[in-house]
Amino acid sequence: MLRASALTTNTEIDLQGINGDASAAGVGVEFGAELMQLGEAVAMGDEAQLSTARQQLVELAGAAVLVDAAGVAANFQRMVRIADAMGIPIDDMTTELGQQVRQELDLARFETAQNSAVNN
Amino acid sequence: MTHFSYNDSPYPIRDDIKLEYRQFWQRLAGAGSWWSGAERVAIAAESRLASHCKFCAERRQALSPYKLQGQHDSAGDLDDLAVDAVHRIVTDQARISQTWVDQMTDKGFSNEAYVELAGIVVTVFSVDEFNRALGLELEPLPQPVTGEPSRYRPSQAVGGTGFVPMISAEGATGAESDLYRGSRGANVLRALSLVPDAVRDWRRLASVQYISVEGMTNLVKQDDRVINRMQMELVAGRVSAINECFY
Repeated sequence: MLRASALTTNTEIDLQGINGDASAAGVGVEFGAELMQLGEAVAMGDEAQLSTARQQLVELAGAAVLVDAAGVAANFQRMVRIADAMGIPIDDMTTELGQQVRQELDLARFETAQNSAVNN
Repeated sequence: MTHFSYNDSPYPIRDDIKLEYRQFWQRLAGAGSWWSGAERVAIAAESRLASHCKFCAERRQALSPYKLQGQHDSAGDLDDLAVDAVHRIVTDQARISQTWVDQMTDKGFSNEAYVELAGIVVTVFSVDEFNRALGLELEPLPQPVTGEPSRYRPSQAVGGTGFVPMISAEGATGAESDLYRGSRGANVLRALSLVPDAVRDWRRLASVQYISVEGMTNLVKQDDRVINRMQMELVAGRVSAINECFY
């Protein structure tokens, strides 16, 4: 969806921000590095990392951005568990955009790829 | 008491978030489709123990999550199967398999009970994660309300997509006609549809934490948010990657 949003807004981005590259996260996305680090800290469950990420985001972007970002992070902590606990496959493995993104991010390395019957 | 007042929050919490969390807490306290109010609140309480469970931490390091034997750090208010399901969903969801879900069924833990339990776990976990992300205390759980589960199972639910039966996009009719409204019925929306109220909770919470189902096609920016869609998706993508979620 990041790629789809970037295409819609004609913005150049670097998807490696998804894989934790802070400089890549900042390409085309305002406060990208700090937002990525907040999401990472939430998902890692590391309180010290989270405290640092929260402080950096508030100082740079403000409290309202932090609250919206916290909502998104919390939402996806839920979504990933729904998807994996119910074993759902990708809706459409054939779209070119989806294939490109999965390849670029090497998502087939994840164990849950088998729910979508991926072999490469 | 008024839940989710956020009076002590150093950050301004949007009113729509407070309202939705309060409403979910009310629904959590009452009987659901397959669990009583007391059981639903017990599931919520158990979900809070999972993150600190020593056995879960040990199992996450194990090559196979199904070989290791041990005891969860549990409140003891649910049976062992339910406790294990709660803990797996919170701490090791990426290794849940069809075989394990089928084995649960063989032991008498129905798909319907599993789906409702999962819906409770992920929703409470998500609300808790929001507070944790902001460095806030967890909200006290609600007092259970007496009542009997409805035992409602949608007749349109069929197997073939994931580990449990689901309602297809075309099958969302009659009492379930609202489930996928405004969407094409993506699998992640269908996932909990064996318990339709769990999908309704899904939609309501997503609409305040992320974006509404109807708003998914807005790839630019939702008016009542300060971050745009690219910013949202960057956060979403990083959280999903850390969780090793292929979907």
